[in-house]
Amino acid sequence: MRTKTLWLWLALLVTSLALVAAGCGGDDDEAAGTGATTEEGGTEAAEQVITVNWGTEPPSLDPGLATDVTSANILLNIMDPLVKLDEDLNPVPAAAESFETSEDGKTVTFVLRDGLKWTNGDPVVAGDFEYAWKRTLSPELAADYAYQFAGIVGANEYSGCDPKKDDCAALRDKVGVTAVDDKTLEVKLTSEQPWFLSQAAHHSFLAVNKKAVDQFGDKWTEAANIVTNGPFKLERWAHNSAIDLVKDDTWRDADSVKLTRVNGRLINDPITAVQAFEAGEVDVLYQALPPAEVARLKETPEYELYPGLGTFYYAFNVENIPDVKQRRAMSLAIPRQSIIDNVAQGDQLPATGFTPEGMPGFDVINPESPWLPAEPDVEQAKQLMSEVANPKTNVTLYTNDSGANPDIAVAVQAGLKEIGIDSTIKQQEFQQYLEFLGPPPNKDVDVYRLGWIGDFVDAINFLELWGCDAGNNSTNYCNEEFDALIEEARGTPDNDARYELYGQAEDLLWGEDGDMPVAPIYFYTYQNLERENIKASFSVNLLNQTDLTTVVVTE
Amino acid sequence: MLKFIVRRIFWTIPVLLVVILLTFLMMRQIPGNPFRQTERAVPESVQRNLDRKFNLDKPWYMQYAYYVKGVATFDLGPSLVVRGRDVNDIVKTHFPKSIELGLYAFLFAIVLGVPLGMIAALRHNTAVDYSAMIFSNIFHAVPSFLLATLLIYFFALQWGDIFGLPTSGWTTWEHKILPSIALGFAPMALFARLVRGTMLETLQQDYVRTARAKGLRYRRVVGLHVLRNSLIPVVTAAGPLLGYIITGSFVIELIFNIPGIGQYFVTSVQARDYSVVMGLTVLLSGLIIVANLVVDILYGILDPRTRDART
Repeated sequence: MRTKTLWLWLALLVTSLALVAAGCGGDDDEAAGTGATTEEGGTEAAEQVITVNWGTEPPSLDPGLATDVTSANILLNIMDPLVKLDEDLNPVPAAAESFETSEDGKTVTFVLRDGLKWTNGDPVVAGDFEYAWKRTLSPELAADYAYQFAGIVGANEYSGCDPKKDDCAALRDKVGVTAVDDKTLEVKLTSEQPWFLSQAAHHSFLAVNKKAVDQFGDKWTEAANIVTNGPFKLERWAHNSAIDLVKDDTWRDADSVKLTRVNGRLINDPITAVQAFEAGEVDVLYQALPPAEVARLKETPEYELYPGLGTFYYAFNVENIPDVKQRRAMSLAIPRQSIIDNVAQGDQLPATGFTPEGMPGFDVINPESPWLPAEPDVEQAKQLMSEVANPKTNVTLYTNDSGANPDIAVAVQAGLKEIGIDSTIKQQEFQQYLEFLGPPPNKDVDVYRLGWIGDFVDAINFLELWGCDAGNNSTNYCNEEFDALIEEARGTPDNDARYELYGQAEDLLWGEDGDMPVAPIYFYTYQNLERENIKASFSVNLLNQTDLTTVVVTE
Repeated sequence: MLKFIVRRIFWTIPVLLVVILLTFLMMRQIPGNPFRQTERAVPESVQRNLDRKFNLDKPWYMQYAYYVKGVATFDLGPSLVVRGRDVNDIVKTHFPKSIELGLYAFLFAIVLGVPLGMIAALRHNTAVDYSAMIFSNIFHAVPSFLLATLLIYFFALQWGDIFGLPTSGWTTWEHKILPSIALGFAPMALFARLVRGTMLETLQQDYVRTARAKGLRYRRVVGLHVLRNSLIPVVTAAGPLLGYIITGSFVIELIFNIPGIGQYFVTSVQARDYSVVMGLTVLLSGLIIVANLVVDILYGILDPRTRDART
């Protein structure tokens, strides 16, 4: 009797829990209905609202401090850049109605449009850009991306000044960015920089509202405080949970913007994100898909693949592996296509040079390297190895321990084994790994893996990595001829001529007679899932950003 | 009792100081740079500015002193990685969510676990006992991430039309059901086993037989004497467990995309966000100290014998 009562209570509790769970059955039916299918380019839906998953919580929405992809993607939709990149990645006017480069190429003048407004009602003036850029350079803000401005006269001096020793205010005044009047912004460059206009489309070149910064300090980017000037307003930022944007009807070109609202979730875990997509909770994923699910998701109509501006590579310590023939042989032995198909699983493109496909001028720049085959060329590799005077047949292979990297290392190890090279894989946690690699290069490292994602659209951003003193070059490789070519390219405003120089530089490293200090594996891609009613108009550019002003929801 | 409490509170200060010092020293021993989160190398002048801004250019004992001073004034300092937010913000925004989740899970564990253990003990060596123990052993062994994934798969995706539960997030009450269950199952199983074990032991005690012999009703014996005395080990386990459970579960928060504090315990170390690591350590140690204190006080209430020994 006694225990029976307890049992009854327990049974009652469980049943009521189950009932409670079942009770909410009908609530979400409407939300689940967003998956309706249409033909491409169908009629506009009455409700222009989408829900995206931005991915990881952006560390900052301050144009001066943001350094990651998510922040950049959101910033470029809530702020108005001077110029933006069109489909062919050429800079076109945005907040600036025109821009002009002086004859010597060292002065760039932007003229702002009329009637630009901040969300607090203030007009957007050239001084806002001057303020923002100098703020990013200031030693007080200590912004990572201060170096984006390195090409501007006096920028390095100001950002490197020590408030205790130097007169920072004077250095600040010497920085070559000046608001001549409210509409004209004049930028003085240290040399001719043909890519400067493309670079100005980067989010660190956005304007910032001084009033908001002065009033709220570090907290000015919270949704309640932020002042923006772009097509969308930041309505809500619930940290680690949601970032919602709404259309700003007063924006200069608001008529062309169809979306009235972009709800954004911040789902970090790719599996959770895919589940949310499949349950109809989000319409777009900005996120790498979980490798185990890729094969299945690729077959769905919502799957979309975009080329990315990034290269995954293995690099050699050329002091430990001095013979170029061995480096070529090792590169030949790497099973690139198999790594892509079986391990990375992102439909990446096997690398044929270092500068990724999609980069303007790729056809001219790419060396079509004979040392970077998609399928391993074991015979040729063995042949080359036999010609090496003192082959190093026991190498260390360093990689960081996250994602697919350890498995890729195993695939590379297997490839090297085929040509008689034994390798020991050593894994480290990412932060530790970066410090370990150097520069200065670590003697224990024979081969290491890293990747590079471009921050602006010019091949210089990739090639300058392999300069003798470059901050990311841990190969001990130093080629003055290469450095001279890069230097010459810096001063070559004509695109075709510059691409030609980049091509020669690539040839020096990866061409027929290339030194092969680095063996690129693949070019990155972005995989996405997009609901079919926006798929036609939704796209992701090389930098994993979407111009939300062009997205239309169809019936 | 009061003297005991006051003394215990005073003892937390040196404990915290040592905790801070150890965390501080260990953190600085790991290689890494909070200002470099990607392959991109940080230019020297930028690194200098950052070190200066966050006092990392000072000797370690001064940094320690600054930090202790901050903690004393309840200022845990700025995050080095999430620029524009300080550790106080992070705790204020995300900790309540973890507390909420933890309390629901804890409630679930107590409400199901304690009766389950009692039933098993009272119907010792019967089918009821065995099934209750098999049930709780299984759920004690199943990792929470597997349980969470199964719950999402069935209740949000497969039978989504029937239950209508969302896959992730932490806004409405529907969002809170699955994570609370997923997090609560393991402690529930733990409680069930604990209660069963101690209750079986208590039932063998002489005073129980005496109470029965006096003619006290069985229900009253169990409810008043057995249960009360069986709860002591449960309370011992519950205190620190509650401390851990409300400071967030990295796995559950990740799978259900809950904006709690749990993920920061992992991501801040990965990112070498020194101040967040320190802040969370201080927070967690503070909580565990308080939880243990509460447990000690509860002992006194449950078991008068311990009262005198401790004052």
